[in-house]
Amino acid sequence: MNIENTQSQMRKGVLEYCILSIIKRGEAYPGDIIDEMKSAGLQLLEGTLYPLLNRLKNAEVLTYQWVESTSGPPRKYFRLTEKGRKFYTLLEATWQELATGVATVTQQDQHPTS
Amino acid sequence: MKKVININFQGQVIAIEETAYEILRRYIESLQRYFSQEEGGDEIVNDIECRIAELFGNRLKHGINCITDEDVEAVISSIGRPTDFDSDYKEPAEPKASQTASQPRTEDASQEGTEERRSLYRNANDQILGGVCSGLAHYFKTDPVWMRIIFVLFFGVLFWVYIVLWIVLKPKKLDTNVTKRLYRNPNDRFLAGVCGGIAAYFRIDSWIPRILFLIPLLFNLIGIFSFFPLNHFFDNSHFSWNINSGMVLAYIVLWVIIPEAKTVKQKLEMMGEEEYIQSIREKVSDNMSGSRTRTESERPVYRATENMKEQTAGTTVVNGLTDQKTGEETLSEDEVPPRPPITQPPVAPKPRVSPVNDPRDFAASQQPQRSGCLNVLIIFLKIIFFTIVGFFALVLVGVFIGILFTGAQFMSLKALFIDPGYETNLLVIVLSLVVLVPVISIITWIIRRVMKARSRPAIGIVSFALWFAGLALAGLLAKNIADKYSMESSKESVVELTSITSEKLYLDMQPYSEDYAEFRMGYGFDAEIDELPYTTVNEDSLLFKTVNLHIRKSTDSLFHVRTIAASRGKDLRTAKADVAAFSYHIVQQDSLLLLPEFLKVPVGQGFRDQSITVEVAVPAGKTVEISDALSEYKNNEPPSVVRKRIRGYSRTKYPDETETANGEKATTVTYDAL
Repeated sequence: MNIENTQSQMRKGVLEYCILSIIKRGEAYPGDIIDEMKSAGLQLLEGTLYPLLNRLKNAEVLTYQWVESTSGPPRKYFRLTEKGRKFYTLLEATWQELATGVATVTQQDQHPTS
Repeated sequence: MKKVININFQGQVIAIEETAYEILRRYIESLQRYFSQEEGGDEIVNDIECRIAELFGNRLKHGINCITDEDVEAVISSIGRPTDFDSDYKEPAEPKASQTASQPRTEDASQEGTEERRSLYRNANDQILGGVCSGLAHYFKTDPVWMRIIFVLFFGVLFWVYIVLWIVLKPKKLDTNVTKRLYRNPNDRFLAGVCGGIAAYFRIDSWIPRILFLIPLLFNLIGIFSFFPLNHFFDNSHFSWNINSGMVLAYIVLWVIIPEAKTVKQKLEMMGEEEYIQSIREKVSDNMSGSRTRTESERPVYRATENMKEQTAGTTVVNGLTDQKTGEETLSEDEVPPRPPITQPPVAPKPRVSPVNDPRDFAASQQPQRSGCLNVLIIFLKIIFFTIVGFFALVLVGVFIGILFTGAQFMSLKALFIDPGYETNLLVIVLSLVVLVPVISIITWIIRRVMKARSRPAIGIVSFALWFAGLALAGLLAKNIADKYSMESSKESVVELTSITSEKLYLDMQPYSEDYAEFRMGYGFDAEIDELPYTTVNEDSLLFKTVNLHIRKSTDSLFHVRTIAASRGKDLRTAKADVAAFSYHIVQQDSLLLLPEFLKVPVGQGFRDQSITVEVAVPAGKTVEISDALSEYKNNEPPSVVRKRIRGYSRTKYPDETETANGEKATTVTYDAL
């Protein structure tokens, strides 16, 4: 069993949820998202982020607008669409379910007698 | 000591070491290859380039003079190499995101093929008009180009098929399921790359298809020059401009229906797998040896991808926006003039080359993304198509409105053929299904098209079902009506005459003493039908002009007159009852016989081919004089059922009209004594 593979499998599922929750707070450009993810200790490559954003945009979950930048080319600032909001609430519910479920299961594992 | 060059990278002028530049270039190429198979791959690469440009900009602001190998490596590790992407995030539904082009993709294709084998869609990914052809091609696992050629060749027949499929099928984004396709080759083109694409497809040199296209033209040129000795020969063999224009037309049609190979993936499909891998190998070995000769680039295989072409050109190039600051010679680190605000994202520019210090190469590398001719043609075809559809819709609406307006007129006519109740209801249903349903569905379809709503095949299917149901009901109605004419009945009655002493019997018409109205078909045009009856003012009776006059020789020395009434009906009983209700009273005034102008029947009978035949038997040596007013009647031929009742029937032969004593015209018939 490849540990890296399992780890990336675990990361994969929550990636969209994390990115969408960052964007939900306000318009964000990919650089912000990367920084925030990194500061939270979540490893994310830009080469992974961009295609993901592109897919979400194609799925009309996200939309973006161009904003002038002083330090380089114009940036794409992403925000959620109406569809994206619904999508996010669904993800959120699933995550809550999952988090509590996983917590219960793993705690039982640690203290099988209690 | 390292050489530093300036590059224009996403609108930023960046000073970069030559070796670092080389690393960057290769990295971006690898990204392009990786994302080429994903939808919007160009856009993703462009976004990443923007990000890289921004990171470089930040570094340069911190007082560093130029970008070094280490900087590039740091940026690359931050963004990640294609090999790192897969494990982190990869859409499981997209097996297309295979990392390198050399991976076997046939597996993917076959897998996908079995998944979507039995469903037919319009392909939204690959369409000239509606994507019908490429959807069909996907279904049959062939190259869309062949489907398109079939549709173009059999345009007359398949046009309607195409329209129906366009309406019925759902659009869906389909990936190609053939490994080799015919594309226009943008790297080997004379006009639009059609011949280059054909050459790449059949693995031949591109001059062969070119010559094939040009041969007719060459012959024509030979024919034009009259001083050419062979001219006479070519004249005799009827080489004409037709062949040539045919080839031009064929070229234009191919231009339209064959897509241009744009992405790496498409170029791969154009050339076939092996050649592509071969060209990659050559590229790698070329990179290692560092030999960059122009002669290499002349090989057709080698020119397959633009990346390679750029590379072999042996110039310092990097991907970036072309429209910015190409002539910039100075290194401006913090004085990047702001770009005009962009509200609409630029159509993801295909990463194109623009070296700051070699404007010539910039010009050379700028190729049109899509030929304008094709765009114009597509727009032109769409205009034609929508004009046709609009025209049909307009005609249908016109017919419908016309029927609404003339309906009242038709309704009066309807009474002649169609009974109230069941048949009338049937007629209303038939009319609404056959006329109303297409009008409504076509209008709905146009509106949905314009509003870009998702196509709903159910609408089309239901419309067609309703329309065909309407046709079936129309057939039922027609059969019902036809049945009413299946049986014939006739009734004979003798008109009692008081003894006629004179030698001559006069026949004249008794005009109808009241007003009467005509049945007409609609307004505006004179649509009188001979057989159609008139109606009385109070609409209780129908008035027929089907009065047939028949003169024959009497067997004795007296005048005899009899009438034979005839009618049709759905059975004999109805027909007999109808005949009994006829009203036709002949009046005798001495030797003058007055025939009523009309045969009068109750209006409830409707039109059943009713007629009355007046037979006048003239004894030998005596004469009958028929007034001019009856001229219309005397030439009428009785129906077959009546002719059978007249022994030895033969059509009366009338002599020419003569003037009577009081200046009127009349026909006299005299039978000589034997």
